[in-house]
Amino acid sequence: MKRFMLGLVLFAAVLGAVSAQLPVNLYGRAAVGANGVVAAAKPEASQVGIDILKKGGNAVDAAVATGFALGVLEPNATGVGGGGFMIIKLKDMAEPVVIDFREMAPGKATPTMYLGADGKVVPKSTYEGGLSVGVPGEVKGLLYALEHYGSGKLTRADVIQPAIQWALQGIPVTVNLESIIKDNFGKLVKYENGAQIYLKDGLPYEMGDVIYNPDLAKTLAKIVKEGEDAVYKGEIAQAIVDEVQKRGGIITLDDLANYQIKVRKAVEGDYRGYKVYSVPPASSGGTHLVEILNILENFDVKKIGFQTPQAAHLWSEILKLTFADRSKYMGDTDFVKVPLAGLTSKEYAKAQATRIDLNASMNPPQAGDPYKYESGSTTHFSVMDKEGNMVAVTKTINYFFGSGVVIPGWGFIMNDEMDDFVATPGSVNSVEPGKRPLSSMSPTLVLDSEGRSFMTIGSPGATRIFPTVAQVISNVIDFGFPIQEAILAPRVYQAASGDLHLEGRYPVGALDGIKKLGHGVSIHGDWDSYFGGVHAIVYDYDAGLLYGGADPRRDGQAAAF
Amino acid sequence: MKRSKIIMIVAAAMMAACMPLSLAAFNLKAPIATPPALLTSIGQSADVEMAKAIMNRAKLSFSMDSLVKAQALASTNAKTLIVVIGGSSKGLGAAGISADAELERAKALLAEAKKRGMKIIGLHIGGEARRGELSDRFINMAVPQCDYFIVVEEGNGDGLFTKLCGTKIPLDTVQKISQVGGPLAAAFTK
Repeated sequence: MKRFMLGLVLFAAVLGAVSAQLPVNLYGRAAVGANGVVAAAKPEASQVGIDILKKGGNAVDAAVATGFALGVLEPNATGVGGGGFMIIKLKDMAEPVVIDFREMAPGKATPTMYLGADGKVVPKSTYEGGLSVGVPGEVKGLLYALEHYGSGKLTRADVIQPAIQWALQGIPVTVNLESIIKDNFGKLVKYENGAQIYLKDGLPYEMGDVIYNPDLAKTLAKIVKEGEDAVYKGEIAQAIVDEVQKRGGIITLDDLANYQIKVRKAVEGDYRGYKVYSVPPASSGGTHLVEILNILENFDVKKIGFQTPQAAHLWSEILKLTFADRSKYMGDTDFVKVPLAGLTSKEYAKAQATRIDLNASMNPPQAGDPYKYESGSTTHFSVMDKEGNMVAVTKTINYFFGSGVVIPGWGFIMNDEMDDFVATPGSVNSVEPGKRPLSSMSPTLVLDSEGRSFMTIGSPGATRIFPTVAQVISNVIDFGFPIQEAILAPRVYQAASGDLHLEGRYPVGALDGIKKLGHGVSIHGDWDSYFGGVHAIVYDYDAGLLYGGADPRRDGQAAAF
Repeated sequence: MKRSKIIMIVAAAMMAACMPLSLAAFNLKAPIATPPALLTSIGQSADVEMAKAIMNRAKLSFSMDSLVKAQALASTNAKTLIVVIGGSSKGLGAAGISADAELERAKALLAEAKKRGMKIIGLHIGGEARRGELSDRFINMAVPQCDYFIVVEEGNGDGLFTKLCGTKIPLDTVQKISQVGGPLAAAFTK
């Protein structure tokens, strides 16, 4: 009878576990280690990076391996068909280096390519189907980093094989991925190549299912063998051109063969004694992150308090000013002049700070934000080792499942990055051939007052990226939060105009005060991926430990050793 | 002997609980609907596309119009209205309709369907992700107007659908989206 009762109890426990609703799991997201930490949007990807460090790879080797693995494990957000930004600071480098592998507009692109006969933007044309696809940079970017900044101890095969293995053994469908697939079902079902991989007999995969992608494994194996040429020349390149053009796009073999990564100097600033390095245009993110922190530095945020009405108000006002600047000035610096020095100067920030009335919400500093809604479907990961080598990478295929166009036989999704351009002529961010669309991605490195590696951080989340990164940095530096607590704290977001957006857990007691200061308020979910998904690492030199923090708003989980 | 009987009964009950739903398990005991059906969304989520795939798989005769208006019912031959409830800000934005306007469209559509003697079947298949302030506005308005309702279990964690259906509207619960086709097909006369 005892055996029977034990069986009954076990059965009930299993049934309960299967049928129970899964709340946001706040446990096990963080990781701490003395030797190295990787913090990524999937636990399996973080572990891939740690395994590379254990094999003797450096932080760049680990980042590249994690990057390729995420293309398999988080295919809705990133992959071979996408692009992004990487910032690297190895211990022997005087300054960080930025690798810009952002997508480029095809050679046949024009400022009016999205306009119909009526002069209006053709619905969905910027973010779905072939015309939305930019020339991808991911493979060139990751391999460039490996070749120039990797340890040299590990081969291409060493760092890509884990990704191949995951593609073959299948990726687990989590609550988060199930929800993303359901949200994007309408797009997935339209494109049969993607539907074959990401739908189960025509319906969404559900939690507990496994998604296999042997075609993607084949692509990755070809990259191991042939390097970047595997994708940018030859049969995969031809397959990309054929499929994208079949879906209405304009990418050519020349576009792929001529794609170039850009190695850039990091944009830099300092915040209360900490040095901040981030990425310059074609991302607006790093510049505006520095601008935000510079303005914030003019206020005694500790005195204003944590998540008080006045704190929300201050963030709102700073973000209004910043987004007004973004609208007016930001674009690809290879095509337009951007006043980067001014935007990141302390004097300018001081002048901007004087425009803020701590007792009243300002009218929008400009009529509106010409940049339309951007997708938040990106990924960020951070790597740091005990030597203080740091890497931060943010990469994307733009919207979840990108353009919907999947390359038949090769298993990867093409980006819809062209949507990050302004779809009409006349803007600094209008489409031009070879131009990179403006991004908000902000992979960022922070040094402490002694010049030591302190923090690596970044987030997905479209225009919420740099406001979110700034808030988490402030939570750590101003309020002394451990990194995981800094990530968990509720967030705010404000564009140049419109409501102040608050995450649902923002203190209820602050709401009346915020409204009294003149703000319209839009309240989001308690753990809302709208506000990004921060993955960061902080080095505690006193303890000799690296602390990795990861975001429960996505499937984030750090790993350490 | 007595103990082995108890074990057998409990084991049978456990097996029944784990088995896929059979016809006998449905709360709807007899078909109520006649084809063809008109499939529409209330809330403009992508769930309506999933319902379309489910109906195709079940070989049900239907047409689909996510934004069909009440006055359009006069020009269709549909005898059953299937509404897929779930709010999506993105979907509403893409459809160019506000939440308030969507609510009004749905109210008028359901009223007109009733007036025409159409049977109304409601589906909520998006789980917990299709609950919350926006979706619940549509749910609270539309569920009481249905003649039959099918919900994927995760979306009824708080019992809202059970409460709204009460004793008057047959409610069937399935564990997965892929199981919706069973009770849905069974609701139609052959």
